[in-house]
Amino acid sequence: MAGRMLLAGFALLDRQIVDRDGRMAGKVDDLELAEPDGGGAPYVTGLVSGRGALARRIGGRLGRAAAWLSARLEASGEQPGPIPFGVVRELGNHIEITLTREDLDSFELERRLRDGVVAKIPGARHAPE
Amino acid sequence: MKKLSGIALGILTAMGGFVDIGDIVANAETGARFRLSLAWAVVLGVGGIVVYAEMAGRVAAISHRPVFDLVRERLGARMGLANLFASFFITLLTLIAEVAGIALALELVTDVSYLLWLPLTALLVWLVIWRMRFEAMERLFGLMGLVLIAIAVGVWRLDPDWGNLLGSATRPLVPAGEGHPTYLYYAVALFGAAMTPYEVFFFSSGGVEERWTRRDLAISRANVFVGFPLGGLLSLALMASTAIVFAPRGIQVSHLSQAALPTALALGKVGLALVIVGFFAATFGAALETALSAGYTVSQYFGWQWGKLVAPRDASRFHLLVLGSIAASVLVGLTAVDPIKVTEYSIVLSAAALPLTYFPILVVANDRDYMGDAVNSKLGNVFAFGYLVLIVVASLAALPLMIATRAGA
Repeated sequence: MAGRMLLAGFALLDRQIVDRDGRMAGKVDDLELAEPDGGGAPYVTGLVSGRGALARRIGGRLGRAAAWLSARLEASGEQPGPIPFGVVRELGNHIEITLTREDLDSFELERRLRDGVVAKIPGARHAPE
Repeated sequence: MKKLSGIALGILTAMGGFVDIGDIVANAETGARFRLSLAWAVVLGVGGIVVYAEMAGRVAAISHRPVFDLVRERLGARMGLANLFASFFITLLTLIAEVAGIALALELVTDVSYLLWLPLTALLVWLVIWRMRFEAMERLFGLMGLVLIAIAVGVWRLDPDWGNLLGSATRPLVPAGEGHPTYLYYAVALFGAAMTPYEVFFFSSGGVEERWTRRDLAISRANVFVGFPLGGLLSLALMASTAIVFAPRGIQVSHLSQAALPTALALGKVGLALVIVGFFAATFGAALETALSAGYTVSQYFGWQWGKLVAPRDASRFHLLVLGSIAASVLVGLTAVDPIKVTEYSIVLSAAALPLTYFPILVVANDRDYMGDAVNSKLGNVFAFGYLVLIVVASLAALPLMIATRAGA
């Protein structure tokens, strides 16, 4: 994928991330950029998803309130890391990655709600037949 | 042959599933007050949902993307979020109205207050979503809704003065005693009821849930081009039935039971029973669609796993959203707000919010990156842009008309 030129704001931002099992794994809420040592155009090093990234990007009073809420809901101690661009398998309508969504920091809230609530309701284990 | 029966089944499902509490209330009320002089607004609204649902279905089949997924991508995170707030609120309002509608239908059968039925009703709605397969759920309530054909049979049995009745539809006049703003207010309400946004959230997400591909376009189009207009005819039959029975007597419709009365007059107890079953099916089916849509919109905006294809535990946030929305709708319903008023507000606010839903669909249906050679045809765009103008006009007019007429009083 190295060296491909893209309109990052258009081809990456706000796209659906799909994990290697075909599960939806959040949206690209923000991008991590780096500048080459010798100067020149910055390049994308990682995708930021969940964990208040969207709230910070939206900004304003609403964004700050949402970022605070998301920090309360999803706090796990350490600062979340972006998804390294190297795990991106395909860029298209969706962005496919080679990890499972359970590997991502952004899965924390879903995991807690699953284990704490939804999995305890009878019938949660199987898709309807 | 199998494909043909699949298409026929799809059409019947779409027809029976088209009507919801908003259509029932708006058509029954306007028939009694305006006879068929607002039938044109229903015809326009059905045309609009046909044009835009076809696009949403095509986008779902080709790009495998439901509407709200695209809303964020096309409008950006900030505008998309504002859109999400508005769409979610209106969907929730519609859900309150539908759930109350189911309970009202049960009240008609049992004489037990709808307030007592509300919790049980909500539990049933949730159970069906939790455990029933998507396609089975859609078929069951869509086909059950077909008994509303009894309303059309009833209209025929009432043996109205057809020339006079159809004349009121083809030469629309504002009836004496009604002001122009009130007339236009109800026109916007009927238009909003036919084009309620959850219909395309559900239709496009359903297309993705049923794994539509290019090969399923024929089914999608048959549903939309044949099933929806036939469903619209059921709405018009309801309007005609109250126009025949109530309008000459100057009676206004303010309760669901009144919407069933003309058919009961024409067909007796059997007619009454069929209409009540039809109301139950129509509101129950729509409650499923709106509850799911509440989950669809939020999950698709944030990119969370959604849908009924995976085990509920694998779409936890989605299922909690659906469950929470159903619970909220019961709590609001239990405050004894007038369900008919909630319905009226939900369809007029829907009308005000129409461009938020339909504009992004139009943009994406013309985008070759998503659609390849399946973008809108030139003729399709003529209709789509024409309707966009109408949608914007209806949306701008909705709230001023609501205020000016004190909600049609």
